[in-house]
Amino acid sequence: MADKGDELALRAGRFFSRSATDPGLHTVYKTGGREGDVFYRDRWSHDKVVRSTHGVNCTGSCSWRVYVKDGIITWETQQTDYPSVGPDRPEYEPRGCPRGAAFSWYTYSPTRVRHPYARGVLVEMYREARARLEDPVAAWAEVTTNPEKRAKYQRARGKGGLVRITWAEATEIVAAAHVHTIQTHGPDRIAGFSPIPAMSMVSHAAGSRFLSLIGGTMLSFYDFYADLPVASPQVFGDQTDVPESADWWDAAYLILWGSNVPVTRTPDAHYMAEARYRGQKVVVVSPDYSDATKFADEWLPAHPGTDGALAMAMGHVLLKEFFVERQTPYFVDYVKRFTDLPFLVTLRPKDGAHVAGRFLTAADLGEDGEGAEWKTVLLGRGGRPVVPNGSVGFRWTDSGRGRWNLRLDTDPALTLHGRHARTTEVLLPRFDGGPGVLRRGVPVTKVGDHLVTTVFDLLLAQYGVPREGLPGTWPTGYDDPGEPCTPAWQEAITSVPAAKAIRIAREFAATAEKTKGRCMIILGAGTAQWFHGDTMYRAFLSLLMLTGCQGRNGGGWAHYVGQEKCRPFTGWAQLASALDWSRPARQTPATPYFYLHTDQWRYDGYDAGALSSPLGEGAFTGRHTAELVAQAVRNSWMPMAPAFDRNPLELGEAADPVAYTAEELRAGRLRFAADDPDDPRNWPRVLTVWRANVLGSSGKGSEYFLHHLLGTGSGLPAPDGTAPRGKLDLLLTLDFRMTSTTLFSDIVLPAATWYEKHDLSSTDMHPFVHAFSPAISPPWETKTDFTTFHAIARAFSELAGRRLGVRKDVVAVPYQHDTPGETAFPGGRAPSAPVTPNLVVVERDYGAVAEKMAALGPLAERSGLPVKGVTFRPDEEVAWLAQRCGLAPSGVAKGRPLLDTDAKACEAILALSGATNGRLAAQGFAELAERTGTDLGGIAHRDLRITFADTQTRPAQVGPSPEWSGKEAPDRRYSPFTVNVEHDKPWHTLTGRMHFFLDHDWMHEYGEALPVYRPPLDLGTLVGETGEGLVVRYLTPHSKWSIHSEYQDNLIMLTLSRGGPTIWMSVPDAAAIGVADNDWIEAVNRNGVVVARAVVSHRMPRGTVYMHHAQERVIDVPLSETTGKRGGIHNSLTKLLIKPTHMIGGYGQLSYGFNYLGPTGNQRDEITVIRRRSQKVRY
Amino acid sequence: MSWIETALWVVAPYLTLLVLVLGLVWRYRYDRFGWTTRSSQLYEHRLLRIGSPLFHFGLLFVIAGHVVGLLIPESWTAAAGVPEWVYRFFSVTVGVVAGVCTLAGITLLIYRRRTTGPVFLATTRNDKAMYVVLVAAIVAGLLATMLSSGLGHHDYRLTVSPWFRGIWVLRPDAEAMTAAPWPFKLHAAIGMLLFAAFPFTRLVHAFAAPIGYPFRPYIVYRSRTPR
Repeated sequence: MADKGDELALRAGRFFSRSATDPGLHTVYKTGGREGDVFYRDRWSHDKVVRSTHGVNCTGSCSWRVYVKDGIITWETQQTDYPSVGPDRPEYEPRGCPRGAAFSWYTYSPTRVRHPYARGVLVEMYREARARLEDPVAAWAEVTTNPEKRAKYQRARGKGGLVRITWAEATEIVAAAHVHTIQTHGPDRIAGFSPIPAMSMVSHAAGSRFLSLIGGTMLSFYDFYADLPVASPQVFGDQTDVPESADWWDAAYLILWGSNVPVTRTPDAHYMAEARYRGQKVVVVSPDYSDATKFADEWLPAHPGTDGALAMAMGHVLLKEFFVERQTPYFVDYVKRFTDLPFLVTLRPKDGAHVAGRFLTAADLGEDGEGAEWKTVLLGRGGRPVVPNGSVGFRWTDSGRGRWNLRLDTDPALTLHGRHARTTEVLLPRFDGGPGVLRRGVPVTKVGDHLVTTVFDLLLAQYGVPREGLPGTWPTGYDDPGEPCTPAWQEAITSVPAAKAIRIAREFAATAEKTKGRCMIILGAGTAQWFHGDTMYRAFLSLLMLTGCQGRNGGGWAHYVGQEKCRPFTGWAQLASALDWSRPARQTPATPYFYLHTDQWRYDGYDAGALSSPLGEGAFTGRHTAELVAQAVRNSWMPMAPAFDRNPLELGEAADPVAYTAEELRAGRLRFAADDPDDPRNWPRVLTVWRANVLGSSGKGSEYFLHHLLGTGSGLPAPDGTAPRGKLDLLLTLDFRMTSTTLFSDIVLPAATWYEKHDLSSTDMHPFVHAFSPAISPPWETKTDFTTFHAIARAFSELAGRRLGVRKDVVAVPYQHDTPGETAFPGGRAPSAPVTPNLVVVERDYGAVAEKMAALGPLAERSGLPVKGVTFRPDEEVAWLAQRCGLAPSGVAKGRPLLDTDAKACEAILALSGATNGRLAAQGFAELAERTGTDLGGIAHRDLRITFADTQTRPAQVGPSPEWSGKEAPDRRYSPFTVNVEHDKPWHTLTGRMHFFLDHDWMHEYGEALPVYRPPLDLGTLVGETGEGLVVRYLTPHSKWSIHSEYQDNLIMLTLSRGGPTIWMSVPDAAAIGVADNDWIEAVNRNGVVVARAVVSHRMPRGTVYMHHAQERVIDVPLSETTGKRGGIHNSLTKLLIKPTHMIGGYGQLSYGFNYLGPTGNQRDEITVIRRRSQKVRY
Repeated sequence: MSWIETALWVVAPYLTLLVLVLGLVWRYRYDRFGWTTRSSQLYEHRLLRIGSPLFHFGLLFVIAGHVVGLLIPESWTAAAGVPEWVYRFFSVTVGVVAGVCTLAGITLLIYRRRTTGPVFLATTRNDKAMYVVLVAAIVAGLLATMLSSGLGHHDYRLTVSPWFRGIWVLRPDAEAMTAAPWPFKLHAAIGMLLFAAFPFTRLVHAFAAPIGYPFRPYIVYRSRTPR
């Protein structure tokens, strides 16, 4: 007893109680009185637990236990039953984060969409016309074509007035809009936007399948989000393939470059912490003191957007010390076998010196056999030219069968230095603001008439690594600040001390040498989402390729930016594109689509040549970026919707639609829609958004969307009065919560949440597939996306059968990657003459759309399932599905396996994918082995077969498959390109190796044939973005309290965070304009206005502000002082800027693929003015 | 004696007691987990730290004063040799000081409640009504205390106290109460209203004061009741 008084009280207390007290006066023993326990027992009791997860916008793919009590979802907890990753390494379980744990709040929240809604004015006019005309399609036609009526409902968008309607009326209006649009304008005027299929594959596929069957187009998302690292197709010929997070544990050296793993990959961040106990060194490159920095051994705070310079300088050190001063055997052997460094490049004269030309090919050696122009050349033993196996010339030719592999059969010369006496100066562009161009010497030799050098020699010139006997201007040493790419040069650009850059480069390379490539770079949005993000990435990837880290467990790039891997890819693609019924499906890259249709192109005042190389031929000079978009479309490099200024069904009515269309184009009577996007014939008419929030989260240039595409009020400071407004007839959104997109939509359909449906989830972060399951049936009038699209399809088919019937649709198809189309333009030459588009006629039975949607079509087994150049033959699987799912009893799908429920669709996806069906994977590898001539027999796990029930029981580990590039097994973590490295399987590139050098005309024009440093865009000079006051870099990274727009409106997350719109600023910046923490500020630039409160933090570097991504207009957004209107969202200040090189097509790995290649919707080069505003805000 | 006075001093006391007792039983049975002050300390603590003790300790003295004044007959104090003027002097000084403290405390608490956003957001209509009654009771009591001293010279121990004691023996002396000046009547009426409101407001927390806490060991084992 500490206190006499206490003791006295306790002793006295014994006399007032019948309970026994222990002699020490610590404890009293009572009997009964536990009635209160009941309350707490009841609080945590539940009727059932259901496995589900969170969809669409999170990479986590964490399996959760959802608790239900009295038919009400009560809470969720993390699942812990992930299969083990084996001994001696940390496990995946449990996975989750506070955001996921807060999800069940949405089920019964005030923001839940409970009933179908429509814009009041629209539905009144529609009902009136419908009653008068007695026809839904005619009614829709009248409302949308009468200028007054059209303006009336379009202007009302986003201004309230949504009224409840019935499901029957909603589907009727939607169906009528689709029928009218197909009839009047063409099916390619209908588009759908729904991202990230991996996180609810069936919900995505349901809508996509409907649109694909009617001939509508799906819009891409990965490139539009600027999550696509274009460097990946450029270098690897692969969209993105990265290690699972458990492989971080295998890394000996880890650099986090522009990635904030604890915030954006919360459930996986533990591996980073754990690997440090294993002796891993962690280096963080980030402009701010980010959450990841806390884990780091070293922090390199490079200025935003200058990371490329640091990487180039590290490459300089690495090449000098590990390739020139000392030849590291592991590195040299690796780059000879797996990269394009030994390949020969022609040089052509320019300005008294030379510039790099193109890869020397077998055709240049005088061969004229199949694919000679596509077979690249290197110097073998004794300096004679050798055409090694593995280039794309062996991939699609008959003679290439069995030879598309990486066997060299010779020891290629990496450099000509020391072998050949001749040298010449090459001119290299510089973009760092330094004077002129670089003149640096390379050793050369003659092959036939061609003066050639190797990619490696060019690379040393580019990185400024001098060697004896070479002419030109070279850095005098690491401390030379004037010559790219020395450590001192980068210090002036990035502010990272040169000595530190040298040390990190040495440590990185030395570790890679000792561990045989176990150095990893985790890359993030901080480096990816710049206009020149691809050049930055190529500088990073060069470090990894030079040190032999790709294709090694614990090594290589790890790009985690939205890339949410749909592991059962083939089955999903089959369903989503309705490839089982008709091929091909229409697909459109969303960035140029929205660039044209939201009229953002009109505000690009700059000359497309302004960003070209000083060594370019002036191909872009005097041209507008929109012209280059149109040219890429005309070249069939890239698809666009609409394709032509005429209804493709009308073109299909000709006797020979393909010949007729080609002739009309040639005669000039038919034009590409991209040539005149503002012609009303070329407008998009119907846009359906589901599982997405384009107006609150992803739509860069938000105010342009509102002004031009929707035709409603916007915060655009200087709208172009000559541009059309209100292009879209119908904006339809399916969502479970009210978002910016639903608020602007004409019709809003109430969706089921992720705890209310069957679906599938997978991710690149872990190797499992697991199920969504309904904990409750969709409450109120909500429906799953699957049910909704089937309801729409039935309403549509009913209206369309009579009005549209069976039609022929002319589809323009671009040259596609992983098809023979990737060898369309030899030598990477941009065509000067018009290209005849590749046209395909697709028959559409409009009355049978609903029936086709609900059954697996015959093309699945008849034509096989194509994936990355391999074709799966699912005959056994289709028979199994027929038994498992039942057969359609009648109609066009009679006798086909039914897909009429979401669970059956899940079953079909798993059965038709190699990752979840070992039989298909083995068959695919066998087919692939015929092409490579190498042994791929042991890779697949033939007996692996994951059914939907397996994924419901616990997360199921997938197996290796030709769909992906890595090997995996219960005792082996997934790392990309391990199949390539371990089995001599080529990359899907021009040379079949990883590329440092890209020789396409447009790459030369942009000066990016080799890795190069390009600084952030100077928007002041380029588009005149200037302002009075504090001008800062405006970045929109992800936040701790939300995932995209999700959770930022969740009461629990609002409570944990500051809540409402905020902009993070540095202490000196805030002081400069007299802003204190939590003051209201306005950010203003040429694109719009944002009102937010300032978070003044020492975390932030001077000159940069962060407005965390996707803070929507639904929470605490007041009126702006600048416009008097409601003050914008994070994307009010951004605008799409298109980099022409992203549109290259028909050339090896630079060929189109949906979400594989396309212009990125980058936004990080943006700047803004920040002002303190009146602290009195009105709403 | 008018019917109003009869209703007030004969019927109302028993109605109040009935409502208080049955109300507490009802609250205990149906809202045991709502038996709370709904503390707002999490939202604001600086003003609360001054206002709350000021009010509560003031109130304890006020209650003690009521106990002495109402339950102890004047004859008893006289028998103990305490002259009326001495008793009055102490009762008025202590009463006024305690009453002013209580009033100052509640004023601060109400000010805090109105001006601190999160606290005001956590304030229900029930709370607001309760505050009106509580403040009215205190003000009326203070007024009566002051009137009974220099201002009015009324000896409530001859009017209010007999009536109050009579209530407990089922013989409320309404006549005595009728003779009291109006401030005392007002105070008594509001007091009854306040007690009637107890079970239905946050005032109920007064019945859950942790008095036993200092007198029991800090570890409590509760075995199940044998079935």
